[in-house]
Amino acid sequence: MTDTIATTQPLPAGLVIAPQLPELLQPVRIRRGIIGFLRGHPTVAIGGALLIVLILIGIFAPYLGTVDPTALAPAKRTRAPSADFWFGTDVLGRDIYSRVLYGARVSLTVGLSVAIFASAAGLAIGVVSGFVRWADGILMRFMDGLMAIPPILLAIALMALTRGSVGNVILAITIAEIPRVSRLVRSVVLSLREQPYVDAAVACGTRTPMIILRHILPNTLAPMLVQATYICASAMITEAILSFIGAGTPPTVPSWGNIMAEGRALWQVKPYIVFFPAAFLSVTVLAVNLLGDGLRDALDPRMAKRL
Amino acid sequence: MLSYILRRILATLPVMAIVALFVFSLLYIAPGDPAVVIAGDQASPEDVERIRQSLGLDRPFLIQFGDWVWRILHGDLGTSIFTNLPVSAMIGQRLGPTLSLMTVTLLLTIVVAVPLGVVAAWKAGSLVDRAIMAFAVFGFSLPVFVVGYMLAYIFALELEWLPVQGYTPLSEGFWPWLENLILPAIALGCVYIALVARITRAAMLEVLQQDYIRTARAKGLGQGGILFIHALKNAAVPIVTVIGIGIALLIGGAVVTESVFAIPGLGRLTVDAILRRDYPVIQGIVLLFSFVYVLVNLLIDVTYTLVDPRIRY
Repeated sequence: MTDTIATTQPLPAGLVIAPQLPELLQPVRIRRGIIGFLRGHPTVAIGGALLIVLILIGIFAPYLGTVDPTALAPAKRTRAPSADFWFGTDVLGRDIYSRVLYGARVSLTVGLSVAIFASAAGLAIGVVSGFVRWADGILMRFMDGLMAIPPILLAIALMALTRGSVGNVILAITIAEIPRVSRLVRSVVLSLREQPYVDAAVACGTRTPMIILRHILPNTLAPMLVQATYICASAMITEAILSFIGAGTPPTVPSWGNIMAEGRALWQVKPYIVFFPAAFLSVTVLAVNLLGDGLRDALDPRMAKRL
Repeated sequence: MLSYILRRILATLPVMAIVALFVFSLLYIAPGDPAVVIAGDQASPEDVERIRQSLGLDRPFLIQFGDWVWRILHGDLGTSIFTNLPVSAMIGQRLGPTLSLMTVTLLLTIVVAVPLGVVAAWKAGSLVDRAIMAFAVFGFSLPVFVVGYMLAYIFALELEWLPVQGYTPLSEGFWPWLENLILPAIALGCVYIALVARITRAAMLEVLQQDYIRTARAKGLGQGGILFIHALKNAAVPIVTVIGIGIALLIGGAVVTESVFAIPGLGRLTVDAILRRDYPVIQGIVLLFSFVYVLVNLLIDVTYTLVDPRIRY
């Protein structure tokens, strides 16, 4: 019965047990995990969800009630949207619903590939010019020159010299996007090099490749990720523009840009041919931009305040 | 200051040289034989050989490049493969419509985007601010041809307020000229307006926190005076910079806008040249636009030093 002593013994005079304090402040709820992050950043959630739906549409295009997007049916030309042809048919009788769904593949492939390739190349060039002083001047003058050519025109010039194919479109847009990424990475690397922890690592005798791997690369990841989403969005627009003016994907590969290009001559009488690919393209680009804005707010608060 | 301006002008020379080298060497960078690609699928071996010779692809690279630069310095951009006309003459014919479209778009952007950004910064965090920023995200996401077709459908086909397509030169009157450019300018300006409005808001937010703004408020200046005279003047440098950088968007967008609205400008020429694989024309247009872009940004840089006495180099 030793444990009851404390309560049974009278307290010394002047000492009272404090009453239970009421909860004045709501306990701070710390949101953790992916769900918590998404609730804290709704634009990431909305953009991400839309993008996932569009990727699924691209992947499962053959199973979503589509027919062969390149099948010609001269008897069923330029039908208005109906129960049989949800989005109508084009000048050659091809089903626009099928073409638009298959077109999602091209847009997303181009957007994601360009984002990955341009980021990788830009990262390499940026890190090299941030660390190798003699290469910096040469690389950056070269990038200045490349940057002076408006990106769409650069892509057009590159495409004018190659046969239209998805691979060439990706290559052309990647080349046009690299200078901006390199510049960004270089500026991040240069500011990171001034950080005390990098000085400390240098003082410890850490070799440069290790410093890059351990301290520089992880810290460039956040701004790179944000930049990559914007590149993805602009690459999808550029692809559509290239295909629209006839310098992009070949006519045999349905893409939103060339569906619109084919509807161009008829758009005053058959606006739906242009409308559906345009709507899909806009929603996709909007989704990626929302994702980018959300990621920027979440990962780079300083930048978010500035913009 | 004069030495700064001179140094700045000299610094653009290597950039222009690299642009020229790059635009020129595109012919070699491209995979495959450019003469074959340009000639097209139905070309005979003689056609390919003719194109190879007219492009000078049968001579050593450096000699060709030197020759090409020399001719450009004399204002000769080469000869079109398709029409056999000098490229500079073809560009000259199409310059008017593109220049008109870009000027109208630029004015529209400044008149719309700057006040939007100022108001958004003034009412930061409010519903107005959120609405303007949401519009900016949409403006950024809607591709120029999507906006173009939408506007043309609503205002030209359905409401019949403005002409659907076409272009009238300024010499035939101001209103006929402007009437044809309103819709294209809005379509082309959408992305640009979004960009400039965002930067204006960001720059204004920073300036509005400064002590001199508080002083201005304390001495009883009106809101409009503070915003548009004290604050905007001090936020001008990033805003003017982004207007300069955004010209690249205008140039790229003009190619598409001109196709949508059937404006016979440089954009149409580009598209026609692509379809005909008329490479000298494409080369000439890319080179011209790039130089214009570099020069505009040089001009903006130099203007800072003249306008803003705080900037010293």
